[in-house]
Amino acid sequence: MTVRPSFHVISRAGRWVLTKPKNEVTSRSFSLTVPLSNATLRRSLLFDAEKKKQRQAVGRIEKIEVDVVSDFGNELLIMNKDLSTPHDCAKHISKFVVQTAVVALINSNQPWDMHRPLTEACRLQFLKTTDKNPWVANNVFWRSCSFMLGAVVSKAFRDDISVVLHSFPSPNIQSGSFVLDAYIGLESWNPSPEEMRQLSKEMVKLSEKELIFERLSVTKEVAEDMFSDNPYKLGHISKIYGNHNEVVIYRLGDHVDISRGPMMSHTGLIGRCTIASVHYLKEDQLYRFQGVALPKGHKLNHYAYGILEKRAMLLNSHMIPSEASLSYEPTPEYATEAKEVSN
Amino acid sequence: MRMNNKPVPLRPLIHYADLSKLVSRLKIPVHWHVKKLRGGEIPGPEGRLLKLRKSVTALIKYERIEMDYYPAEEARGYAERLISEAVRHGPQCPETMEMADWWLEEKQLIHKLFKVLVPRYQHYPSSFTNFYRAPFWYFSDGFQSQLNEKYPDREINETIPAFRTVSYPKGLLELKGNPYPPIFRTNVTNPRSIQNVLLSSAKDFFKSQPPKDTKDSKAEVSNAENSSNTDFVPVEPNSEGNVKEFSK
Repeated sequence: MTVRPSFHVISRAGRWVLTKPKNEVTSRSFSLTVPLSNATLRRSLLFDAEKKKQRQAVGRIEKIEVDVVSDFGNELLIMNKDLSTPHDCAKHISKFVVQTAVVALINSNQPWDMHRPLTEACRLQFLKTTDKNPWVANNVFWRSCSFMLGAVVSKAFRDDISVVLHSFPSPNIQSGSFVLDAYIGLESWNPSPEEMRQLSKEMVKLSEKELIFERLSVTKEVAEDMFSDNPYKLGHISKIYGNHNEVVIYRLGDHVDISRGPMMSHTGLIGRCTIASVHYLKEDQLYRFQGVALPKGHKLNHYAYGILEKRAMLLNSHMIPSEASLSYEPTPEYATEAKEVSN
Repeated sequence: MRMNNKPVPLRPLIHYADLSKLVSRLKIPVHWHVKKLRGGEIPGPEGRLLKLRKSVTALIKYERIEMDYYPAEEARGYAERLISEAVRHGPQCPETMEMADWWLEEKQLIHKLFKVLVPRYQHYPSSFTNFYRAPFWYFSDGFQSQLNEKYPDREINETIPAFRTVSYPKGLLELKGNPYPPIFRTNVTNPRSIQNVLLSSAKDFFKSQPPKDTKDSKAEVSNAENSSNTDFVPVEPNSEGNVKEFSK
């Protein structure tokens, strides 16, 4: 005779409670359990030193007028040149804008990092992924996901397995997945579903930290000093510097990488995330990590998300380093300019 | 006994036409029935106003409050009246200032009323507040909150069903133009939103793929009725039912 479970028992579920708003200041190291490798730590320290140096080079503080246009009111703000960021401007408008803005837009045509200091008087808008035309915000989100995947992959493996990040291509949402190419010192690695789930988990953990993306534009020498242990990046840096006369690097926690940018405001904007598959690219001897994610607040039912996951499991052939021989760019991230702009 | 059925006014009639010129007309429906608010320390109309004063102050301060339905409905009228007087007369008028001074317990809110709310509502064609019915029982709360009200000094197992407990309706009162996210999501589908871009490109991708198992296709057709292992075929996302994108 089976005992019928009591119908009085009510499970605790169903009410969606927003997380407590956290302080904006975040601790930099996002995984305390894994000891940092010397190279990572050294890169981060060099980043610190370079940032300090650039801050001291500002000198006398000048004021600029920033005309902020947002859903929560328009303001004419007097900000500090080369110090104040769009994030600081958003604080004058609304906390909601601070939390949800993905990227800023300057003079209606130039995407600008939320944590990058403003250099001149301008008109400032804030872009969200829920805008009418979220083209820029979506691409910025996709690129940031690739960057975060790099941060996760570089820390996910044991110490005796060497991980050398190659690059990630420019964001292409139509390709169905965001991508990261990396050299992993493993022979014929077929990741199990548990390992993939663990990677997804690390992404979610990273997003819960709400770390900010710090941007820095450095010279060739500094960049080569930073990435002296990475032969791929050394090749990229010289070509980037030849084309752009600067190398833009970003830091997330302790992870530093090259990217054209812009990146989104902080990692907490990721909602649902799956690292779907890892493919081995034979010609490049690289592993290609693929994942799919949605921004926070975007809802999609399980079946539809399953379709996206199934597609992300197949190889994404967007800008495979060896196949993109004709228009091959060392860091393909730099190759395509985001010229289209939303309103 | 009265012979005729005409009601006899108990108090002298007020000329409402003249009154409407003195007092600004509220843009919310006000019921003629004055709700009694019991349970205050001071009885009578004075205690009632003192209870409402707390709600009005909280509304001006937080701009969105959740409380019992009927007190909230009463407080709404007084808040509307206060704001409309402030918009009409401004801080120079001593009567308005006196009214604001009484209704707002925290004195910094008087500055907010005249410097923030008056410019916000200067040209509002509609009322200044929104009022909704709120759920009085959240699923995740269990019955604990109601039972705690009834038995405040008892430790209550939350799995006990609410037996003989009374639930008073709750209301949600907010000032219009507040900085919070809207209460009701808007059902707007945007083909350019990220999940719709992903889904439409996935649809194109799966359609462009050559069909697998071309050799076994005939066999599959013959066994179509009882074959359980069919290939994965994505259903085209339907903008109404399958895919919903909610603007924040």
